[in-house]
Amino acid sequence: MSKDILVIGGGIAGMQSSLDLADMGIKVHLVEKLPSIGGKMAQLDKTFPTNDCAI
Amino acid sequence: MLDVGRHPNLELLAYSEVEKVEGEAGNFKVTVRRKTRYVEEDRCTGCGACAEKCPTVVPDAFNEGLGDRSAIYSYFAQGIPSTHTIDPDHCRQLNGKKCGICAKTCQAEAINFEQEDRIIELDVGAIIIAAGYDIFDPSLIPEYRYREIANVVTAIEFERLLSASGPTEGHMDRPSDRAAQAEIAALEKKAKKSQKVLDKLEKKFDEPSADFYGKYQTGEYEGDEDRKKWADKYASHLKIVEPLEELKKKAKRFTVAKRLAFIQCVGSRDFRFYPFCSGYCCMHSIKEAVIAQEHEPETHSTIFGMDIRAIGKGFEEYKIRGGNNSNITYVRGRIAEITEGPNNNPVVTYEDTRERKVETREFDMVVLATACAPTKGIGTLAKTVGVELDKYDFIKTDSLSPVDTTTPGIFVCGCAESPMDVPESVAQASSAAERAAEIAFQSELEKEKAVA
Repeated sequence: MSKDILVIGGGIAGMQSSLDLADMGIKVHLVEKLPSIGGKMAQLDKTFPTNDCAI
Repeated sequence: MLDVGRHPNLELLAYSEVEKVEGEAGNFKVTVRRKTRYVEEDRCTGCGACAEKCPTVVPDAFNEGLGDRSAIYSYFAQGIPSTHTIDPDHCRQLNGKKCGICAKTCQAEAINFEQEDRIIELDVGAIIIAAGYDIFDPSLIPEYRYREIANVVTAIEFERLLSASGPTEGHMDRPSDRAAQAEIAALEKKAKKSQKVLDKLEKKFDEPSADFYGKYQTGEYEGDEDRKKWADKYASHLKIVEPLEELKKKAKRFTVAKRLAFIQCVGSRDFRFYPFCSGYCCMHSIKEAVIAQEHEPETHSTIFGMDIRAIGKGFEEYKIRGGNNSNITYVRGRIAEITEGPNNNPVVTYEDTRERKVETREFDMVVLATACAPTKGIGTLAKTVGVELDKYDFIKTDSLSPVDTTTPGIFVCGCAESPMDVPESVAQASSAAERAAEIAFQSELEKEKAVA
């Protein structure tokens, strides 16, 4: 059994590291201050330079 | 985002905060406060029936205050988890008033006004800080007159106006026009109510209010208490209707924003605030101008900056494409002042440093490309977790180990470390994940060794 990891913040950076770790088979606890994850990126309409949808 | 919500190895603790961290790399004991939502997480289906019925309306933080939400809310429509939350500052029931409508509406019986914060303890090997950033408050720069002039908005506010899921459903309505429209709606409601009372009185005395009021003012009904009440009512009705008519006249001149000004380096590269470059704002402004033009083909955007920093894969091409295809003009120069012209139009006074001229131009809307400021709670968080901050209050790192904090076993990624854009955040996040995984697997190896 490997050790668990704590990730503080559920924005794009926190979500990415959580998923990377979880995919490696490590148990992750993701703590987010707000009611939902997503952070600032969820507020964006599109992202540059490809104009992809942010959500 | 959806993957985060349903990954079997991932425990999502939303609406929670880290209270205490003890121990060392490979062996941290963390105390987390799970704040009460007053809604049972395992019961709420996220249907939103409660939010529809809730009588309290408050500005919506997700839409930067440009829209409304109810006191029981889901943070945003696609939010994960979709569990609703009661805002304890605005809920009528929690502030001693009689309500509880949400509890009556909820078919899943998920509302629990007695729910309390829960404290949980976690044993972890490593910690990753991804606390993000705050948007610089441009009202600190007096010459831009943010909040004084309605049509001067921040980039993130503009982003919400552009968004199809935002308060204007992607229409480029100006904040001043939206405020006037809201006022018209409120006055119309009031006028309707007072008209109802007047209708009753007119029926009772069998005379139109306007005719009666004319006679009343000449002193015809002196001493008649009932008619005095009627006259007072009519006078207050006029006070509602007259400004309403004025506003309706003004509403005919409402336009969608077609002449846009983007002002770069608001708070960054400015020695009064943050001397550093926030990195993403140039591209962010170009992107917003491109999308605005997609929404409304007649849109013309002017981007005012000291220089446009399009550093990244495909960024320079994007900038040129914006200039060629999306009606974007780049002006080198800084803004001296923004004033308010006719029809709530912001007027920008600037120096064009290429032409060596001071000029004044009127726009429909001004968008401020705000700096990436360290997040407010970072000081407390850094103290709780036990890491050092740099001189700007970002998490301190070393250039040769950019995701390692000053404490072993604690890593950082994203804008908590320094300003960066989405691709960089993602890259750094994967890097921090690898560093944390090293510790997680190390403890596994050690255990195996001990058994052998």
